[in-house]
Amino acid sequence: MKKLLVFGMVLALAIFATATLSAADATEIMKQSHLAYYYSGDDGMAKVSMKIVSKSGKERIREFTILRLDIEDGGQQKYYTYFKKPSDVSRLTFMVWKYPGGDDKRWLYMPAIDLIKQISAGDKTASFVNSDFTYEDISGRHWTEDVHTIISESETVDGKEAYLISSIPVKKYKGFAEKKSWIDKKTNLPLKEEYYDKKGELEKIFSADVIEEIGGFPTITQRTIKIIKKNKYTTLTFDEITYNTGLGDEIFTERYLKTPPRKYIK
Amino acid sequence: MKKGLINFSTNHPVWIIMIIIGFTALFGWQLADIRIDTDPENMLPTDEPVRIFNHEFKEQFEISDFLAVGIVNEEGVFNAEQLSRVYHITEAIMEIDGIVAEDVMAPSQVNDIYYEGDIMVIDTLMRRPPQSEAEAQQVFRRILANPILKGKLASEDGKAMALFIPIESKHESHRIAAEITAITDSLGGDETYFIAGLPIAEDSFGREMFGQMIFSAPVAGLIIFILLFVFFRNIRIILPPMIVAMTSIIWTMGALVWAGFSVHIMSSMIPIFLFPIAVLNSIHIISEFHDNFKKHGDRRKTIEHTINELFTPMLFTSATTVVGFLSLMTNNIPPVQVFGGFVAFGVGVSWLMSITLNPAMAMLLPESALKNFGTSGEDTGILARIVKAIGRFSARRYMLILPATAVIIAISIFGLMKIEVNDNPVKWFKSDHPLRVADNALNSHLAGTYMNYLIFQTDEEDAMLDPAMLAYIESVQNHIAKSNIVGSTSGITDFLKKLRLEIAGHGDSLYGLPLSSMEAAQYLLIYDKQNEINKLVNEDYSHANLWVQMTAGDNQEVSGVVNSANKFIEENPAPYELTTRWAGLPYVNIVWQDKMVSGMRISLLASFGIVFLMMAFLFRSALWGLLSMLPLTITIMAIYASIGYFGKPYDMPIAILSSLTLGLSIDFAIHFIQRARATHRRTGNFAETYKQIFAGPGRAISRNVLVIAIGFVPMFFSNLVPYITVGSFFFAIMTVSGGVTLILLPALVTVLKSRLFPELKKNN
Repeated sequence: MKKLLVFGMVLALAIFATATLSAADATEIMKQSHLAYYYSGDDGMAKVSMKIVSKSGKERIREFTILRLDIEDGGQQKYYTYFKKPSDVSRLTFMVWKYPGGDDKRWLYMPAIDLIKQISAGDKTASFVNSDFTYEDISGRHWTEDVHTIISESETVDGKEAYLISSIPVKKYKGFAEKKSWIDKKTNLPLKEEYYDKKGELEKIFSADVIEEIGGFPTITQRTIKIIKKNKYTTLTFDEITYNTGLGDEIFTERYLKTPPRKYIK
Repeated sequence: MKKGLINFSTNHPVWIIMIIIGFTALFGWQLADIRIDTDPENMLPTDEPVRIFNHEFKEQFEISDFLAVGIVNEEGVFNAEQLSRVYHITEAIMEIDGIVAEDVMAPSQVNDIYYEGDIMVIDTLMRRPPQSEAEAQQVFRRILANPILKGKLASEDGKAMALFIPIESKHESHRIAAEITAITDSLGGDETYFIAGLPIAEDSFGREMFGQMIFSAPVAGLIIFILLFVFFRNIRIILPPMIVAMTSIIWTMGALVWAGFSVHIMSSMIPIFLFPIAVLNSIHIISEFHDNFKKHGDRRKTIEHTINELFTPMLFTSATTVVGFLSLMTNNIPPVQVFGGFVAFGVGVSWLMSITLNPAMAMLLPESALKNFGTSGEDTGILARIVKAIGRFSARRYMLILPATAVIIAISIFGLMKIEVNDNPVKWFKSDHPLRVADNALNSHLAGTYMNYLIFQTDEEDAMLDPAMLAYIESVQNHIAKSNIVGSTSGITDFLKKLRLEIAGHGDSLYGLPLSSMEAAQYLLIYDKQNEINKLVNEDYSHANLWVQMTAGDNQEVSGVVNSANKFIEENPAPYELTTRWAGLPYVNIVWQDKMVSGMRISLLASFGIVFLMMAFLFRSALWGLLSMLPLTITIMAIYASIGYFGKPYDMPIAILSSLTLGLSIDFAIHFIQRARATHRRTGNFAETYKQIFAGPGRAISRNVLVIAIGFVPMFFSNLVPYITVGSFFFAIMTVSGGVTLILLPALVTVLKSRLFPELKKNN
C-alpha cells in the first residue's frame, strides 16, 4: 500500500514535470521561431511584391521595398517601407518603430499632399496597406503575449518535420482566440499557421509557400494569408533579399520619409 | 358519371368512407415532412436577376442584412450613464451567435479619426464607457462630425441613437432580436429600446402568420359549425361538411408537402381559403336535402333528387373557382403559382368529396336521427321570410334596383381609378404592433431603417478614385437627398472627404473631395480598417457602393427615389462608361411586387374571359352568360373600389384575393340561374319558378352568405393586417355577391323574362 502511494506520487510528479517541461519547450520553440522569422541578421532589406486577390479573383499588385533594422534581438526593431507601385501611391513611405510590449510608433509620408504624419498604432490587427496581412503579420507577435503548448511533435508539412503548437492569448485579443502553428524542426520557421476565432471557427491560414536559404539564413521568400470565410488571400513575394548590409539608424527617421535613401532604394 | 357516382355513394357508403379515410391518412402522413419558408424574397425565383445581383452585391461589398436597435430618450441619450449602458449592451450583443461581429455599428465598435497632440489616431469611437459628461458629449460630437455615422448612430437632437447589428442570415432575425431584447431588458435603463428593420419584420411576419393560421382556421371552423347547427339542428347532418373541409385541407397540404414544396407565406393561406369553398358545396347539398326530406320522406330518394338537382351547378361553381385559382399559375411568382395550383386541387377534391361523402354519410345515419329533420313545405322561419321578402322586392322594384346598380357601378369605376399599388412588409403588422412602433420611432428620429444600395459599375480600374467620377457620384447623392424619405446617403465620396478633412486638414479645414486620384488612393492605402473600405468600393476601385438610407419602406416611395435617381443618371452622363444597379431588401421587394401585381392583372382578366365562356357554354346562351357574370363583376368592382376609396394600398394579399373573389362571387349566380332554368323547364310558369327559386336556392344562398361571412369575422381581430384583409374579403364577397344575386339578378330576369325564356312568348 505504501509502495503504491510512493509510486503514485512519483508518477504524478513525473507527469507534472513533463507538463511544465513541455510548456517551457513550447515557449522556447515559439521564441526561436520568432527570432528565425523576424530577426535574421542585424538588418535586412528586400523588394516585396504584394498580390491581393479578391473573392471574385480580381488581382491587385503592390510593390514596395522594405528595410529592417534590429536594435535588439527579440526586442526593438525599426521598419521602413517605400512604395513603388501602383503609380498613384508611388513614393509613399511608411515607418514603424516596433516596441515589443509597448505601443509601436508609426509615421507616414503622403506625396500627393506632401505631408508627413505620425499616426497611432494601437490596433495591430488592422490591415497592412489594404491587404489581408495585418501589421502584426508583417512585424510579428511577441511570443510572451501567448501561452503556448505542444500539441504534437511528429507533424509533417510538405515533407518537413514540424512541431504543432497551440497559442492562446494571455489577454483577450481580437486577432484570434487560438493559433495553431506548425514550426519547422530544422529551420524553426513557421510553415503554416491556423487562426481560430472564439467560436472555434477557422478564420485565416498563413502558409510559408517558398523557403530559401539566403546569406546563410533560411528565409520565407513567399508567404500567403488566406481569409477563409471571405475566400480571399494575399501573397507576398520577397526578392533581392540581403542581410547585414549595415543599414544606418539615421535612415529610420522622419528626415528620410520624404527623400528615401538612394543608396538602398532606386 | 353523375348516376354512377350517386349510386356508388348511396349503395356503398362504407366504401366511400374507407377510401376517404385511406387517402386522408396517406396525405396526412406527408405532413410530417412539412418545411416552412417565411422569406418574401422567395417570391422571386432563385435565378431572378435582381436576386442574383443582390447576392453578388452583398458578397462583393461584404454587406449583411441588419437589425437596427434604437435607443430613445426624450431627455437625450448622450450622457455618461446611458452611454455606459449602451457600451455594455453592445458588448453583450457581440457575443450573440449569428451576428457579424466585425461589422457591428455601435459607438464602441465603429472607428473614428482624431488627434492626440500631433499624433493621428484611427481607433474605436468610444473605447470605454464614458467616465464623464464631457467624454459622453465628445462621443456625440464625433458622430455628428462623421458623415458616414451621422444620422445612423445618432439623431441630430441627441434624443436617439441606433446600433446596427449585421446578421449572417436574415432567417435568424427573430431569434437574434429576441436575444437582443433580453439583453436590453436586463441591462437597459429608463431609455426605450426598439428593434426594427425589414429582416425582422419579414421573419417575424412569417412566424406570427403560422401562429395565426393555427388559431384562425379552427376558430372559423367552430363558428361555421355553430351556424350550421343553428340552421339545421342536426349534428350528424352538419358533420359531413366539416369533414369535407378538413379532409380537403389535409389532402391539399399533404399533396403540397409530398410534391416537395415548402409551405411559404402564400401557401400557409391555403387552409383558410379552402375552408369556405369546401363548406359552400356541402351547404347547398344539406340545404336542399333539408328542404326536401319531408316531401320525399325517403332518404335515398331525397339524396338522388338533391344530387341530381345540384350536380351541374356544383360542377360549374367548382370549375370556375378552379379556373380562378389556376389562372394564378400564369403568374411568374413561384409561391403564387404553387398557391394557385394547390388551391385549385383542393377545390377539386372538395367537390368530389361533397358529392360522395355527404350522401354516403346520410345513408349511414340511423332512421331515428332524421326523424324530425327538414322542413315540411312552407318554411316560416325568419330566414325564409326574409328571403321571400327580398324576392318580392326584387321583382317589383326593378325600376329602383336597375338605376341604383348603374349608380353603384359608376361610383365603383371612380374608386377603381383611385387604387394605389403599394406595399411594405412592416405594415403587414397592425400599427400598435411592437415592430410598427419601433419602425415609427426609429424612422422619425434617425436616418432610417430601410437600406437600399446604388452600385456604380465601370470597367476601369481606379475609376472611383478619379475626382471627376467622385464629383459625379456626389451630384447623384445630392439629387437623391432631395427626397424627403432619404435620411442619408453615404459612399466612397463621404469617406474620402472625411479622410481628407482629418488627414490633410488636420480635422478643421479642407472639407471636400480629393483633388487627384493619387490623393484618393493614398488616403485609402493608409486607412487601415479594410472592412470599412470594402463596403464602399471594390478591390480595384472600378465599382462603388452608395448606401441610400430611407425612413420609409413603402414600395411606392422607394420606387419614387429609385426612378428619380435613375432618371437623373440617364440625363447626366458620367465621366466613365457607367452601369448603375440597385440592391437591398426594400428594392428586392418592389421588384417582386411589380411582377406580382402586373401578373395578377393578367390572371384576373384571363380567368374572367374563361369564366364567361364557361357560363355561355353552361347556359348555351350568351345573354344568360352575361347575366351570370354580373354578380361577379359588380362584387369585384365594388370591393376593389372601396379599397380605392378607403385609400388602402393594393398590396400582396389584396392582389391574391382577386382570384378568390372571382371564384366565389360567381357561385351564387350559377346556382340561381341554373336552377331557375331547370325549374322553369319543369313548371313552364315564370311566377311559380320565381317563387320556388326563392324558397330553395335562395335560402341556400342566404345560409351560405351568413355562414361564411360570419365564420371569418374572428379574423377581423388579428394582429396581422393581411388576415384582417382576408376576413373582410370573405365578408364582402359573400354579402355583395349574395346580395347582387338575390336582388339584381331577379330584377333583371323579371325585366328580360321574354328574352330569357323565349318559350314564354310562344305560350302566351
